Amino acid sequence: MSNQLQNVIKQQQEQTNLTTSEQKEDNIIQLVGFIVGNEEFAVPILSIQEIIKPIEWTKVPFTEDFVLGVFNLRGNVLPLIDLRKKFGASQAEFDDDVRFIVIKIGDELAGFVIDRLTEALRIDSSSILPPPDTSMDREAIIEGIARKGDRIITILKMTSLLKTKNG
Amino acid sequence: MDEMQEIMEDFLVEAFEMIEQLDQDLVELESNPDDLDLLNKIFRVAHTIKGSGSFLNLDILTRLTHHMEDVLNKARKGELKITSDIMDVILESVDMMKALLENIRDTGNDITDDIDIEPVVVKLDAISNGKSLSEVSVNSEKVEEKEVEIASEVQDNELTEEDYANMSPEEIEAEIERLLQQRQEEDKKRREAKKKQQSQNTEKKELSKEETIQPIKKDEKKSVPAKKISTVEQTIRVDVNRLDNLMNLIGELVLSKNRLIKIYNDVEERYEGEHFLDELNQVVSSISIVTTDLQIAVMKTRMLQIGKVFNKFPRVIRDLSRELGKKVRLIIKGEETELDKSIIEEIGDPLMHMIRNSVDHGIESPEERLKLGKSEEGIVELKAYNEGNQIVIEITDDGKGMDPEILKAKALEKGVISEKEADMMSDKEAFMLIFKAGFSTAAKVTNVSGRGVGMDVVKTNVEKLNGLIEVDSTPGKGSVFKIKIPLTLAIIQALLVAAQEELFAVPLANVIETVRITVEDISAVEGKSVLKLRDEVLPLVNMSDIFKIDKILGISQYLYVVVLGVGASKVGLIVDGLIGQEEIVIKSLGEYLKGIKGIAGATIRGDGKVTLIVDVAALMQLAKETHANSLINTTIETKKKKEKPEDYVVLIVDDSNTDRKIMRKSIELLGFTIKEATNGEEALSIIKNDNDIDAALVDIEMPKMDGYTLAQEIRKYNRFKNLPLIAVTSRTTKSDRVRGVEVGMNEYITKPYTPEYLANVLKRNLKLS
Repeated sequence: MSNQLQNVIKQQQEQTNLTTSEQKEDNIIQLVGFIVGNEEFAVPILSIQEIIKPIEWTKVPFTEDFVLGVFNLRGNVLPLIDLRKKFGASQAEFDDDVRFIVIKIGDELAGFVIDRLTEALRIDSSSILPPPDTSMDREAIIEGIARKGDRIITILKMTSLLKTKNG
Repeated sequence: MDEMQEIMEDFLVEAFEMIEQLDQDLVELESNPDDLDLLNKIFRVAHTIKGSGSFLNLDILTRLTHHMEDVLNKARKGELKITSDIMDVILESVDMMKALLENIRDTGNDITDDIDIEPVVVKLDAISNGKSLSEVSVNSEKVEEKEVEIASEVQDNELTEEDYANMSPEEIEAEIERLLQQRQEEDKKRREAKKKQQSQNTEKKELSKEETIQPIKKDEKKSVPAKKISTVEQTIRVDVNRLDNLMNLIGELVLSKNRLIKIYNDVEERYEGEHFLDELNQVVSSISIVTTDLQIAVMKTRMLQIGKVFNKFPRVIRDLSRELGKKVRLIIKGEETELDKSIIEEIGDPLMHMIRNSVDHGIESPEERLKLGKSEEGIVELKAYNEGNQIVIEITDDGKGMDPEILKAKALEKGVISEKEADMMSDKEAFMLIFKAGFSTAAKVTNVSGRGVGMDVVKTNVEKLNGLIEVDSTPGKGSVFKIKIPLTLAIIQALLVAAQEELFAVPLANVIETVRITVEDISAVEGKSVLKLRDEVLPLVNMSDIFKIDKILGISQYLYVVVLGVGASKVGLIVDGLIGQEEIVIKSLGEYLKGIKGIAGATIRGDGKVTLIVDVAALMQLAKETHANSLINTTIETKKKKEKPEDYVVLIVDDSNTDRKIMRKSIELLGFTIKEATNGEEALSIIKNDNDIDAALVDIEMPKMDGYTLAQEIRKYNRFKNLPLIAVTSRTTKSDRVRGVEVGMNEYITKPYTPEYLANVLKRNLKLS
């Protein structure tokens, strides 16, 4: 297990200790935050199968450019989607912080390339705002917007992440 | 309750299996009405279903089968001759029995409003009573009597039916004889009992029960000693899901095995000569062998005989021929050939359609056949056999066959193909037209074919199974349809090829051969590259072009061509490397990436990397589309980029140093790059190897190889067909000039010449202004 992930878990545990007494468990949703381009995004922690360091993948023809191809996760062939390309972020290099997040969407598993992880988040669902009107195109993939201090975190809608073709 | 459910399920499985067999036997019976073995077999099926049915309180089913049994019993004893009309009634009752069983399967009981067995029962009764079918009337009293009879027989059936499967024909016959005697005794008793009061009925049942048990016990001791105990345990019904699961696990094991072999090879390289390698090698080999055996063994557990599918066709043919007024005989061969269960399930419908097609469109009417000097009875042959890793199913008819020209004309008329395509089409390709959507050669739509589900669906279904169809036909003689399908779907042999640096797996079943060619072997037809391979001309397509892979490798001297074949069409696929043959496990790309053109799935190789598996049928379709932008076009494009004399390389070929100097001086100032050769041989090797010569000035009189021969040699290569060759010589006679043109010189300049003239001729030939 990578140090990063251990850190994330440690932080999460600390957070749990701090917050359980104050808030009702029902309203809390747990997310994992990550950076793509200049923005911070988050997905529900329970949808994440695992987070791995970049491994080799195989290109697949006739796919959109943000579909990097397929990779082998312990005997399963999973699609690999570069969120940085999908969200139009400029940086497309693979530095040491880049991770593949393997997410379970419905019955399907898929890997998503992100720039770096931030932390595990606990957010009160009532503090999540609906997606802004201006985000037109992206509206479909945004579940809501969360604030944490001065950070703005976009929560992604899992079901739309794997919408075929036009998704 | 659960126990009952289990028994019910077993009963249904068994009943459906028996019915499948029954259909075939009945049709056979019609042609051999005196075949006692057959009659006994059929009788037994009705008898068994009746027995189990009554045990499970399926009254309607029991009643129906009981009446069938009566008729069959009479026929068996020779009291009744099976005619076509009687057979119709029997088949009708079998259909009804099927419908009832299906209803039982779906709802759990045989009570339904949709199926009314009365009319059939009445007809069956009429037959067994020797009445003609027309004087049928319902005799309710009789019906009641029969029902009582059934109840009493429950027990004996229950006890005996298990034994049948393990008996030899003689034993079975003895057994049936015995049962019949028993029944007659019972009948006698019942008649007596009937006279008594109803309240005594229960007592009587117990009586008969006791009576039946005893003879069976005796029987066991005598005729089926010990054998029974050992054979009963020999088969187990297993849930298909468990087998599928097992198959998946084997798939994983095969992948791990491949990986192990890969690692072993790496280790072997690194620690060559070390002692432990031997031991490791032994382990790796034994694991590899065991895995392969295991894979085959598990594959075999999923294998079913194709007879399971074939069995329903005699009935289909019988019904069809009666319906269409044709005489058709079905010959079935190789029904013991085994195929994977999933394929067996999928192959039935396409086969059914093709057989209907053969009878409807292939076989002529009896009158027509007689007129043509054929026997009145048409023959449809259904044959299955193994061929390598494939199973071939052949459907042959001796009917009217197909005329490729008529097919082409029809296809043209319907706009399925263009005129140009029609001209280029071989006969085999023309036969494949019948599988195109929107194509039907039937003059009129009959009840049998032409119901909107065309042969195109057949082809799609077969291709889904990674199979292919081949057609051959001779007008007036008949047609042969060959379906070739792989033995199993999950694990296949594949050829690994490289397109640029990316690897792809091509199913070996579709690879006809691989050849290594040079660029010169490629010729052009209408601007498209083709390869002449023996007496065939194959369209050539670069794999990188098909999958739009960026070309990072330069064009090398040698090209690898994988000749792919689906049905009658072939394509030469240019790849950048052949890696080798490997056993691969097909994995799906998942919901998100499914349906990518030309890709059938993926596999994980020994090194853990994912390799895509090519869908050959789709790839060939893509290849045809890509073919327009072929290799030749790209080479021409690169040549067109040259605009100034500085971009060109000119080769001067002359044995005289002075003459070479004169020529060099004449054109050097214009900026051309100049190379020199002192004789034809040297020139040829420079042209071939340097591959950058744009024009040559050639002397005729030279040692080793003269100018004429040089020109001839150069023109043999496709890529040098348009290379400007200018003869510069002191031979001035007309015959010399004619010879020059004949061998392929573009221009003929005689010495002496002015430098300007030479430069102009050169520029003209290089299309420089």
